[in-house]
Amino acid sequence: MSTQARAPSWHSWGIFTFFGHLGAMCILAWRSSIAMFRRPFEFSALVNQLDAVGIGSISVTVLTAVFVGMVMALQFSAALAGYGASLYTGSLVSEGLVRELGPVLTALLVGGRVASGMSAELGSMAVSEQIDAIRALGADPVKKLVVPRVLACLIAMPLLTLVADIVGCLGGQLVVMAEVGVTARFYWEQVIATVQIHDLFHGLGKSVFFGYFIAIIGCYKGMTTRGGTAGVGMATTVTVVWVSISILAADYLLTNLFLAL
Amino acid sequence: MSVPIAPKHPDPIIRFSGVHKRFGPKIIYTGLDLDVYPGEVLTIIGGSGVGKSVMLKLLLGLIGIDSGSITAFGEEVTTMAPAQLTGLRKRIAMLFQGGALFDSMTVAQNIKYPMLEHGWGDVAARTTRVAEVLEMVGLPGVEHLYPAELSGGMRKRVGLARAIAVQPDVILYDEPTTGLDPINIRRINGLIRSLQARLGVTSIVVTHDMDSAFTVADRFAMVRDQRIGYTGSRTETERSEIPWVREFVVGGKGVLAD
Repeated sequence: MSTQARAPSWHSWGIFTFFGHLGAMCILAWRSSIAMFRRPFEFSALVNQLDAVGIGSISVTVLTAVFVGMVMALQFSAALAGYGASLYTGSLVSEGLVRELGPVLTALLVGGRVASGMSAELGSMAVSEQIDAIRALGADPVKKLVVPRVLACLIAMPLLTLVADIVGCLGGQLVVMAEVGVTARFYWEQVIATVQIHDLFHGLGKSVFFGYFIAIIGCYKGMTTRGGTAGVGMATTVTVVWVSISILAADYLLTNLFLAL
Repeated sequence: MSVPIAPKHPDPIIRFSGVHKRFGPKIIYTGLDLDVYPGEVLTIIGGSGVGKSVMLKLLLGLIGIDSGSITAFGEEVTTMAPAQLTGLRKRIAMLFQGGALFDSMTVAQNIKYPMLEHGWGDVAARTTRVAEVLEMVGLPGVEHLYPAELSGGMRKRVGLARAIAVQPDVILYDEPTTGLDPINIRRINGLIRSLQARLGVTSIVVTHDMDSAFTVADRFAMVRDQRIGYTGSRTETERSEIPWVREFVVGGKGVLAD
């Protein structure tokens, strides 16, 4: 046994650690999927999480979207002016927002806020043995804690993305009207003519996946937190990095997938 | 040292045999053996970080073992399905070191939690039981408070109230008196003894507090060299000549005198 103690631990090998975490997150995702359909359903916990994830994120979503819409309108109108095509700014702004920037920026902003919150809350519960206590009292922490958070993110993310799409287009409208001099009616006719229903589903579809990653990573990092309050701080920081990277990487893969469909 | 079979308790209700456990590179147990007999108060002592609390979590199936066997009420814990584990956790309750109360719930909701999970009683019975167990731990009328509004000692006592709510057969105490004032230490010690005397509850107490240990324990087990290095009754432990047991019992005086 003592020789085993001196053997190099696989925990110290980065690539194994990465796949170890990935595997553990897949197991958590699988267990939460099974627990999701098992009675009794935790409705009050789901409502609380929807409030925290959805309602609590509306202001950050609206603020982000309005400025992104305005900046896009400013950039595109300037760029298109060179070709004498600045009248089409509305088309580009709306298409870019609905397919790409709406879902991705909402996921990055909301993900940072929500996943770090989940990680901090569950991490504090883990270090104060509350998660052990849930199990010791005969309940399943995945069902009690993870499932409501996953469901809340799956429901809230597409709705928040829809809000971001609309608000972003409104922000774009203000700038296009001021810079290009078109009417609101002309702008919205262009938006409606450009954005097809499949564009909308392309963006909202991606946001559902992003929501899933946010919840699973936030819960996984929270539930596996060790090392007291310092551990909670570390888990929160790592969560934001992991969530951001996974959203950007998944965005590339999902965009490929949705374009092929 | 092998585990002596106490003649008055021929059949252990809990048995650890040949348990190996490690966390990454850190080895906790190499062949841990321990029997716990019905109705006794067994105190587990040992230095910090030797894995005394881990034993309680292994018994509840909260963490898995690497090899060996743990049986409770004649059934193997390590291979139990989730539904069986739920049944086990109704019969074996645990008081966590800091109480481990759920911050988002009131005291009453915390205590009702295991009752709801195990389908214990109806609404009225549960409410009555909450008042009853709070009375037992000397905290009547705190049902509506949140854990953040309680002192450390009160949290621990509410944790104990939650543990005894569904009338378990075995209670595991992880450092029950650490950080408490003398009055509360006496109260907790008294409670451990009275649960044993009145209800025949078996208790396993992990502690550093030797005064408390000698007040409550029928039998001692000491963790040393990654296994149970010593077991003995209260009298045997008090009179033990084994230097490292003596060192622990008298707070190092015996060894320093050598």
